[in-house]
Amino acid sequence: MHSRTATVIGYVLGFALLFVIWHLASQYLVSSVLFPSPFPVFERGWVLLEEGLLQESVWASMRRIIQGFLLGSAIGIPIGLAIGSFRPVRLLLEPWTEFFRFIPAVAMITVSVIWFGIGEESKIFLIAYTTVFVVVIATAAGVGAVGRDKIRAAQCLGANKLQVFALVALPATVPYILTGMRLAMANAFVTIVAAELVASNDGLGKMLWDARLFMQVEDIFVALISLGLLGFATDRVFRLLIRAFAGRFNPTM
Amino acid sequence: MVAFVELDGVGMTFRGRTGAYEAVRDFNLELSEGEFFCLLGTSGCGKTTVMNMLAGFDTPTAGQIRLEGKPVRGPGADRGVVFQGHDSLYDWLTARDNIAFGLRLRGMGARERRAVADRFLNMVGLTGQGGKHPSELSGGMKQRIQIARALANDPRMLLMDEPFGALDAMTRAVLQAELSRIWSENRKTVLFITHDIEEACALATRVGVMKRGPGGTLKAVVPIDLPFPRERTSDAFMASFRQVHELIHAEIHPHA
Repeated sequence: MHSRTATVIGYVLGFALLFVIWHLASQYLVSSVLFPSPFPVFERGWVLLEEGLLQESVWASMRRIIQGFLLGSAIGIPIGLAIGSFRPVRLLLEPWTEFFRFIPAVAMITVSVIWFGIGEESKIFLIAYTTVFVVVIATAAGVGAVGRDKIRAAQCLGANKLQVFALVALPATVPYILTGMRLAMANAFVTIVAAELVASNDGLGKMLWDARLFMQVEDIFVALISLGLLGFATDRVFRLLIRAFAGRFNPTM
Repeated sequence: MVAFVELDGVGMTFRGRTGAYEAVRDFNLELSEGEFFCLLGTSGCGKTTVMNMLAGFDTPTAGQIRLEGKPVRGPGADRGVVFQGHDSLYDWLTARDNIAFGLRLRGMGARERRAVADRFLNMVGLTGQGGKHPSELSGGMKQRIQIARALANDPRMLLMDEPFGALDAMTRAVLQAELSRIWSENRKTVLFITHDIEEACALATRVGVMKRGPGGTLKAVVPIDLPFPRERTSDAFMASFRQVHELIHAEIHPHA
């Protein structure tokens, strides 16, 4: 696969270039202890890995993201399908989604902590909250975008309403659902860090906050890089999934 | 003796925010079983509306449509439809699974479905292409898949809405010849919508010419009694072409 090799080389060189610029900037542009070069950051990251602290923080954050994200998707997909399929449901629920999606999850941290405490429940609630509306909107849009002729063709081949839904509308909507989930995942990263900054005993957000308190600049950078890499890896997984389902007929995704 | 298909005083008025639009007025036509009827008309004459009513996508606001004596109510498996664009194919299914879609709806087993689908792949000249997805096929091949999908479901008749309208001239000619051959073999009743006079004369046993819209209706029906496959350069073909051309020309230039 020639193009795949080119992609991999591109990514490796791209990241390498980023680190070179970072290094040069830290050496010549802003020489300050507050902006370390990548080398001490990598060293610190290695130490944290060896002590098992980094894995612990990453796992704490990822576990919350995955749980909340799955919960939010599980709620969002059926609601989105219902909104897209039935006009009365749309008229009834569209105001909800239009209302709640402008109340950011970050603003909900306060009530979430009051309701669920600073444990797991409040984080999972916030991630689910930030996921659900994006997934609902994407799913409903997907149902609405199913081509009229696709549905008519099925009717002419003898499909009843249930068959039209299960065999045409649903598979045609899958790429939209996955795209919505992909967008929601980016929101989930924003939300988890904010939630852990404010109220948490572990996770990458907590790591950032503690490092700030003790002026451990390298630790801050280790946490930031971890977030970037985690998000990057998660997004890759989603793109692979979308391609597996939809890539054959929509190479732009 | 009832006709195979009867359109009896059929009219269609669309009501929208900007008022009412009468697309079709007092449309009368009888089709006998096994004929290939081309409905020819200028754009906006209501020919697609006629097909949509026969397919059951639209309900006539006047008159009645009957298939084998029974009034048409909504779309059904007795009327196979080939759409103008290829958006009606299922991108997530292979060509074979697209063709077998109707059989799957009826609960036919996978092995049998595959055998039937492969038979129709052969019929439309796509032997060995069954594993490909629509995105991997050309425009002409996609229309072949649509035809195979409609025929594999064994409908009582076939409705075709300018199926070759979006294809280049060469591909169109090839597909017209293929369709003619397939029809000669199975003699399914066909209603074929087109605005291409040559296409109509090449395919049809009868050509119906429509008046201009709004309020489009049937102006004249011209039988084309020529053997298949048709010689497009023969004098007899030219004579039919000229006859249809004159009828349609009066609709394009009404005051000439």
